[in-house]
Amino acid sequence: MAIMMPASDQAVLARRSEIVAALRAIVPGEGVIDSLAEMRAYESDGLTAYRQPPMVVVLPDTTEQVSLVLKYCAAQGIKVVPRGSGTSLSGGALPLEDGVLLGLGKFKRIREIDFDNRVVVTEPGVTNLAISQAVAHAGFYYAPDPSSQIACSIGGNVAENSGGVHCLKYGMTTNNVLGCEIVLMSGEILRIGGKGCENAGYDLMGVITGSEGLLGVITEITVRILQKPETARALMVGFAEVEAAGECVARIIGAGIIPGGMEMMDKPAIHAAEAFVHAGYPLDVEALLIIELDGPKIEVDELITRVDAIANACGSTTCQISTSEAERNLFWAGRKAAFPAVGRISPDYLCMDGTIPRGALPKALARIRELSEKYQLGCANVFHAGDGNLHPLILYDANKPGEIERAEAFGADILRACVEFGGVLTGEHGVGIEKRDLMGDMFSEIDLNQQQRLKCAFDAQGLLNPGKVFPTLHRCAELGRMHVHAGKLAFPDLPRF
Amino acid sequence: MNELLSLVNFDTGSVVDTLKVRDAKDVEEVVRAAIANEQPLEIIGHGSKRSIGHAMATNAVLDVSALNAVTAYEPNELIITLQAGAPLADVLALIDAKNQQFAFEPVNTAPLLGTPALGTIGGMIAAGLAGPRRIRAGGARDHLLGAHAVSGFGDSFKTGGKVVKNVTGYDLCKLLAGSWGTLSVMTEVTLKVMPKPEAERTLLLRGLEDAAANKAMTAALGSPFDVSAAAHLPKSAFRAKADGLGDVVGQGEALTALRLEGITASAAHRAGSLRELLAPFGTATLIEDMASAALWAAIRDVLPFAASGGLGAWPVWRIVCPPASGAALGTQLARETGGDLIYDWGGGLIWAALPPKPDAHAPAVRERTNAVGGHATLIRAAEEVRRDVDVFHPQAPGIAALSERVRASFDPKTILNRGRLTRSAC
Repeated sequence: MAIMMPASDQAVLARRSEIVAALRAIVPGEGVIDSLAEMRAYESDGLTAYRQPPMVVVLPDTTEQVSLVLKYCAAQGIKVVPRGSGTSLSGGALPLEDGVLLGLGKFKRIREIDFDNRVVVTEPGVTNLAISQAVAHAGFYYAPDPSSQIACSIGGNVAENSGGVHCLKYGMTTNNVLGCEIVLMSGEILRIGGKGCENAGYDLMGVITGSEGLLGVITEITVRILQKPETARALMVGFAEVEAAGECVARIIGAGIIPGGMEMMDKPAIHAAEAFVHAGYPLDVEALLIIELDGPKIEVDELITRVDAIANACGSTTCQISTSEAERNLFWAGRKAAFPAVGRISPDYLCMDGTIPRGALPKALARIRELSEKYQLGCANVFHAGDGNLHPLILYDANKPGEIERAEAFGADILRACVEFGGVLTGEHGVGIEKRDLMGDMFSEIDLNQQQRLKCAFDAQGLLNPGKVFPTLHRCAELGRMHVHAGKLAFPDLPRF
Repeated sequence: MNELLSLVNFDTGSVVDTLKVRDAKDVEEVVRAAIANEQPLEIIGHGSKRSIGHAMATNAVLDVSALNAVTAYEPNELIITLQAGAPLADVLALIDAKNQQFAFEPVNTAPLLGTPALGTIGGMIAAGLAGPRRIRAGGARDHLLGAHAVSGFGDSFKTGGKVVKNVTGYDLCKLLAGSWGTLSVMTEVTLKVMPKPEAERTLLLRGLEDAAANKAMTAALGSPFDVSAAAHLPKSAFRAKADGLGDVVGQGEALTALRLEGITASAAHRAGSLRELLAPFGTATLIEDMASAALWAAIRDVLPFAASGGLGAWPVWRIVCPPASGAALGTQLARETGGDLIYDWGGGLIWAALPPKPDAHAPAVRERTNAVGGHATLIRAAEEVRRDVDVFHPQAPGIAALSERVRASFDPKTILNRGRLTRSAC
């Protein structure tokens, strides 16, 4: 493994059987798993290149149990890694050898559906899709739709601030959650927010969302639900040049149109997807845009016309407009299957997740082509074009010596390029362990220290999910130390009023 | 020599000096000097919201209004990067010229508080007061993409970025928005801008009681017609005179308003469908574009409770609650106190102007609000009232303790806006 995890605490490992017994006293029956064979299922998340069986797995089914487990671990100085469905693509739920893996899979109940306040109160182990399904009979849905929505848990979505195809128009998880019940590492149970639009005081919900399981363990979530748009139609537009496709995206936004989704694929991705699902994608284009408009029929029809005109003006070479749900779904089928499709043409692939300003797209794709040459590895690009979120899929073969290292170096260079072009390291997959060591490319030590001080406010011992997100671990006392700005400060001659 | 000491009389606390910073470096130096001298700073832009919160025990003012540049505006990227002291009025005019807007409709508190200026971008974010479209587009916290700020350690740090989709590190922007300057001094922010809708239509229902109006708004917001604002102005004896609502509202009569925005054909079509849906509540009339915009600006800025109006001397509460609980909470409060109300956010936001009283009716407001899981801020009150009443909603002990640890993680010496949020810290 290229990424170093914090050194294991041998004293903790030596007490393993005692710890397992103590956890069994809190979570009875099958809720504590300590056999290596059974723990295999938990040794990795969606970032499968990294594996590590935990010291022990605990699957509590009440908030009280979560609290007692954390309180015990805090008192004993034992690390804890929380886990939802284990679909993280950044290694956020990678276990630690000397840590308790705390699975929230038994929190599977939707606690309340409140149509009048347009919210659902749910336990964290409920899948993203199950929330939409539970309210579909009344025409509602939960808007964020990460591609793993059939499996990923809403608790994991909150931890990672998950996005999805439709977040350009409907926002990410953070824009769609109102409150939570959270258990701190100390075992303290807190309720934040509720069914109102805003929380009192500092926006703790806002900072917990996307905190990658480092601040607390969420045991209940209140999410906003929306009425489903009346209809949706999609355009599938091909371009001979990537630049023209980028220009088309910019002009659509510039015209004041915010599509429900706007996706781009480059030639290798188009070919892989077409070979897999036969969606009728044009094979002679360099870039393909799938643009979905949703809303009332009258609006969708009008916007389709406008977008079609913009695409024409940008020199599109092919354009199909869906006239039925079946056709719209077919347009999407290739895009949605892009990852498995790439999996068919390459033994292994790494999925990257940088975001760039939309205008930097041609530059970014050119750089990726150069890097592809340099590292002698193929790369297919799918792209949430509307919000600049790039997903290069780096093709490699783990069985060939040195390829995984080359692929990782290639990926790191892509993410550095994203930062160089004014973007960020991760748009929706999270930092986890995958991008942890690149944080210094985007943030200064001062920036990172401020973030880690916040961590200290929630978890002063640093026991919750250590080794993730931050490249260097600091003691809270060290982070909290004030600079000694000794006596004589040169002070500028500020205008005085 | 330490010029700050010559500028600010830290010893007696009797002289208030204003330090007008020119760049982020100046901010760092002022904060560092303040730390060295263990003296708190009040952070201001235009001072338009200075009367919100508790009086601060500071004798030096850090004025960021000279940090007023537009760093970058990229309409096609839907972002704008601004220094924190940029005047909100100028920025709104700038983005309006490109037919864009801040979708959360920042509240202009000047009429309500009786201040001349509209304020700065930094103040807009630090207060985080969002208007009618909050229910659909989110608040200031949802539109702040990145920030550069100076913490109470005297260090410049950045958080977030200049792109909409970003999960790199903790989202400290969420904490800065609505922190009332108690965590850091923002020096530069990147905000999301959105296209202005081509057309707007507002349906008006007249004469509804609060409970019925709440039901009508709930039905509208639960419909597929993408309602972007829902407000209710109850029948009011106090609004009999000029109430800032123009000709739309018969003087003092109850009015329920529902807004639809988008391309013209769509807004008109949805208005028709919504009118049918709301038929059980009465026959809705329609206003369009300019007239609609004027009504919503008046509701956004709470003009019926303007400082210059008949209720100008009354304390005003801003209550956030579950939307469907709004009417029950509001009617009870109005009955108990004899006050006047405006409901926005489909019932989820109540502006309550209550008859003057030394405690501004705080016990009643807080008890009723707690009962439905809401929170209340005393947005306008005389200084002597704010001395005795918590302006911001008291929190459960665990949340209060966590919030204090979070605050201290940015500003351990409580240098920034000391005492603004809580009475006890004064």
